[in-house]
Amino acid sequence: MMPTLTQYLVISLLQIVVVLGFVMTLVPLLTFAERKVIAYVQVRLGATRVAGGLWGAQQGRLHQSRTVTGGLNGLMWFLGRVPVFSILRGLPMFIADALKLLTKEDIVPASADKAVFVLSPALALVAAFTVFAAISFAPGALFVFPKAVPFLGGLPFNGFLTDLNVGLLFILGIASVGVYGIVLGAWASNSKYPLLGGLRSAAQIVSYEVPLTLSLLVPVVLTGSLNFNEMSTRMATDVPANGMVAIGRTLIMFVGFFVYTTCGFAETNRTPFDLAEAETELVAGFHTEYTGMKFSFFFLAEYSSMITVSALASAFFLGGHHLLPFGIQGFVHLSGWWGGPHIIFFLFKIFTLLFVFLWVRATLPRYRYDQLMNVGWKFLIPYTLIMFVIAALLRYAA
Amino acid sequence: MFKTEEMEINLGPQHPSTHGVLRVKLHLDGETVTRCVPMIGYLHRGVEKICEDKTFFQGQVWTDRTDYVAAISNNLGWVEGVEKLFGITTPRRAHYIRTMLTELNRITSHLLWLGTHALDIGAMTVFLYAFREREEVLSIFEAFCGARLTTTAFRIGGLREDIPPGFEKQVRAFQARFLDCIEEYETLLTENRIWKKRTIGVAPLNAEDAIALGVTGPVLRAAGSSYDIRKAFPYAAYAEMDFDVPTQTAGDTYARYLVRLAEMRQSHRIVNQCLDGLPEGPVMAKLPKVLKSEVNEVYHAIEAPKGELGYYFIGEKGSQSPYRMHIRAPSFINLQALPKMTEGRLLADVIAAIGTLDVVLGEVDR
Repeated sequence: MMPTLTQYLVISLLQIVVVLGFVMTLVPLLTFAERKVIAYVQVRLGATRVAGGLWGAQQGRLHQSRTVTGGLNGLMWFLGRVPVFSILRGLPMFIADALKLLTKEDIVPASADKAVFVLSPALALVAAFTVFAAISFAPGALFVFPKAVPFLGGLPFNGFLTDLNVGLLFILGIASVGVYGIVLGAWASNSKYPLLGGLRSAAQIVSYEVPLTLSLLVPVVLTGSLNFNEMSTRMATDVPANGMVAIGRTLIMFVGFFVYTTCGFAETNRTPFDLAEAETELVAGFHTEYTGMKFSFFFLAEYSSMITVSALASAFFLGGHHLLPFGIQGFVHLSGWWGGPHIIFFLFKIFTLLFVFLWVRATLPRYRYDQLMNVGWKFLIPYTLIMFVIAALLRYAA
Repeated sequence: MFKTEEMEINLGPQHPSTHGVLRVKLHLDGETVTRCVPMIGYLHRGVEKICEDKTFFQGQVWTDRTDYVAAISNNLGWVEGVEKLFGITTPRRAHYIRTMLTELNRITSHLLWLGTHALDIGAMTVFLYAFREREEVLSIFEAFCGARLTTTAFRIGGLREDIPPGFEKQVRAFQARFLDCIEEYETLLTENRIWKKRTIGVAPLNAEDAIALGVTGPVLRAAGSSYDIRKAFPYAAYAEMDFDVPTQTAGDTYARYLVRLAEMRQSHRIVNQCLDGLPEGPVMAKLPKVLKSEVNEVYHAIEAPKGELGYYFIGEKGSQSPYRMHIRAPSFINLQALPKMTEGRLLADVIAAIGTLDVVLGEVDR
């Protein structure tokens, strides 16, 4: 049954609300997770205990109900005693962090270019969020509205917003707009440290865009499509008739995954490629002059592009909406539940990759600017070119 | 049509990785440093002048506040210098305890260096691991003298008190754990590709330049010289200790990293020897009620964690204070190697160079 235009618009709106709501919830939760993961790695005491463990218990009693955060602490202490809720330890820190960002004074430097200064965080954030329009969380309908639902009865609620036939192109295009937010923001600040951070960022993102795109061309060549759903499904389940080709395909996906993820780390300005905001060199890099919510826009944009990178890596290299990664799903036929809940498999992969982002941050030092460029131009670009040629040969052989 | 100019940038005095209030004026061509001028004096308190008005007993308190992460080393330099000036003989047990605490202090100082240096290069985890162990040593200091940072640990002529009960157990507990902790830092850094890339060949200083600039301590030893005052002119109980002086020949940031890690292991050895061989006896020499100096001069140097720490006293007849006092501060003298190490290199290397020189601004400015 084809929906009418009004029905289509209503469902799309609902989907936008759900997807955006999901991303907007996930991003803050990711900062919470980052705080906790890093705290566990680095034996930090606060973030793993606040109002949850024994210390939290004492704190909670001391401050119970006297202040807003104190009351919250008390509540958290109470919840933290239940084993399931103990995962929430450290939550008051996260809430305080969010409140802090909301209530900080919003400063626009006197010598800044005001219009650009205000617009660029929005540009970064909008670009980071718009990407989700083309990302598919499940290849088909998540559910169908029951007949009893007025107006929408019998219509499917899809796991994606749009089924663009140039989905990947759209994602890459929009994602690269994000760098304008950073560069313009840095330039508009009219200050030296942001300028250096912005220049670094521009050079870095522009350089890494090349191997990133080249590594994504591998699935494009192998599937002959730019449609997100089609690519991810076919990457996961296609089996070429020739055995050698099938094995080569799996291997190239395996290598491609690491190459793509490396570029993704650089693309999102994360450790070990976080030179744009290298706090120990450039104070805070491009966002040195930003405060309050404007700063947190950049912050949210960075985290949501982490989700994007993880989503693309899962979709094209890790088997996407299917259980087994690297195209192995094609060799084995999984039935029942194991072939079923696509969205759960997909989200699980995204979360695992996000954990890797946090883990790497706690482990590795930072590259130097020229070394970063060397890694990009002398290592990743030749590598991805070779991969691209191999992928083309595989396609030809199949 | 186009005009190019070098950008002048102030690194500090308020900057996350200038370790205090160091200001470095940099001329940048892109990200390449063409000129580097360290500007100091933001923490100048006139310690040397103040000490002219303080008695020798009071002056020691000010030494805590020069290199504030190695207060016990400073205390040792001061009290031994004053003892030399008045010809006081300190009991052997006091020497042993002083040596032990000074070596523990070397460990804390190197841990602070390791943590902040790694943090500057972007490895944030080592920082917290290093501070975890540093806390433990600071608790040992607290058990000994009640203070964690500004210790004023020793007295002229010996110690104020003997070690408290339970002290030895506390130190041994730390000693038992510490070598594994160094292993832990090493697993994160020593063979890490990025760490090696960021440090090997970065901010080099050869032995010749180092000696010409007066650089001492681990920075000099990483360039191949084995000059260590503990061996060259033994003081306290070092003549009775068995330890090696770690050296490297590369003279770069990585070599300095290896030297300092090896020094922590040697300090660990010395502390164990002090505990095992701790002699019985008094910890305080008999002193006259009032110290009165004849006119004479004394220069006493010790091997502080940062390098040669020298105290130069000129006494005044009938006075209880020095007529003139000067501190040969290793941080101050090592810092002048910074332009040599960084000019023509990248901005990120300046940060690594400041970290690897291990300067404490309290000592630079005094």
